[in-house]
Amino acid sequence: MSPELNVREKQEVTVGTAETTSDRPMFSPVVDIWETETGLMLMADMPGVAPEDLSLDLQDNTLTLSGRVSPPPEGRKILSREFGVGNFYRQFSLADNIDQASITAALKDGVLKLELPRVAPAQPRKIEIKTDETKPA
Amino acid sequence: MSLFRVLPKGDRFGLPFWELEKMRDHMETIYNALAGGVSQIRKNYTGVFPLVNLAEDDEHLYLTAELPGVAADHLEVSVKADTLSLRGEIRHSEAGDEVNYHRRERESGSFRRTLALPVKVDMERIDATFKNGVLTVTMPKATEAKAHHIAIKTE
Repeated sequence: MSPELNVREKQEVTVGTAETTSDRPMFSPVVDIWETETGLMLMADMPGVAPEDLSLDLQDNTLTLSGRVSPPPEGRKILSREFGVGNFYRQFSLADNIDQASITAALKDGVLKLELPRVAPAQPRKIEIKTDETKPA
Repeated sequence: MSLFRVLPKGDRFGLPFWELEKMRDHMETIYNALAGGVSQIRKNYTGVFPLVNLAEDDEHLYLTAELPGVAADHLEVSVKADTLSLRGEIRHSEAGDEVNYHRRERESGSFRRTLALPVKVDMERIDATFKNGVLTVTMPKATEAKAHHIAIKTE
């Protein structure tokens, strides 16, 4: 039997100094990051984010995850609210040894899975030395 | 709001005013819970996973819970009389414990939660959907629990 889960509150974040136009809160997704043989694996919980509403930005070694969560349909009256609903946002700075061009991402059931492969180490290469003998006569 | 209050002695108007004040406090609590943002969550924080939101319209009750990464076949929703139970398991088996974690914030484990529904629902027509890691249970209100709009006749 696995251990019982405990409640963890969603972490609200403020992004930059600019105010957002919406009055909805913004949350920081919880993540797991671990090392694999080929690089890093990142998993982030972003419940309510559809694949088309997720955006991943990579700029100057900064990886930005942002996910839009659709507001609940109009006309519903809230009876009790235990968690807030809003968009997700979190930034990570990547180490130089990450091969930025081959990062892959998948989103399933509100969980984002990012594979961040390391740059392949330089392969040892034998350099052939040309001698006069190989020169055509 | 304190549980006990000292009544002003010898004031014969004490009791009714106290009652009014109590009522106002109560209204304020309800208002805050409804209108407040995230900062208000702590107030109705239950300490039991998963946290749920409950909403209604004229016809339905809607329960939502965020359960990212739960497989639908590891999730069980049941309604009995006016009690709803949610149980399931979150498994993150992707990496073992042996791997080198840089961050480990997500948790896994089993959960079980039972909550009382505020109105009677039509058990035959309850609908549960799990989309993008969010569970939504749509429960049609039982006929006797629906709001009846009464037409006012004029003469």
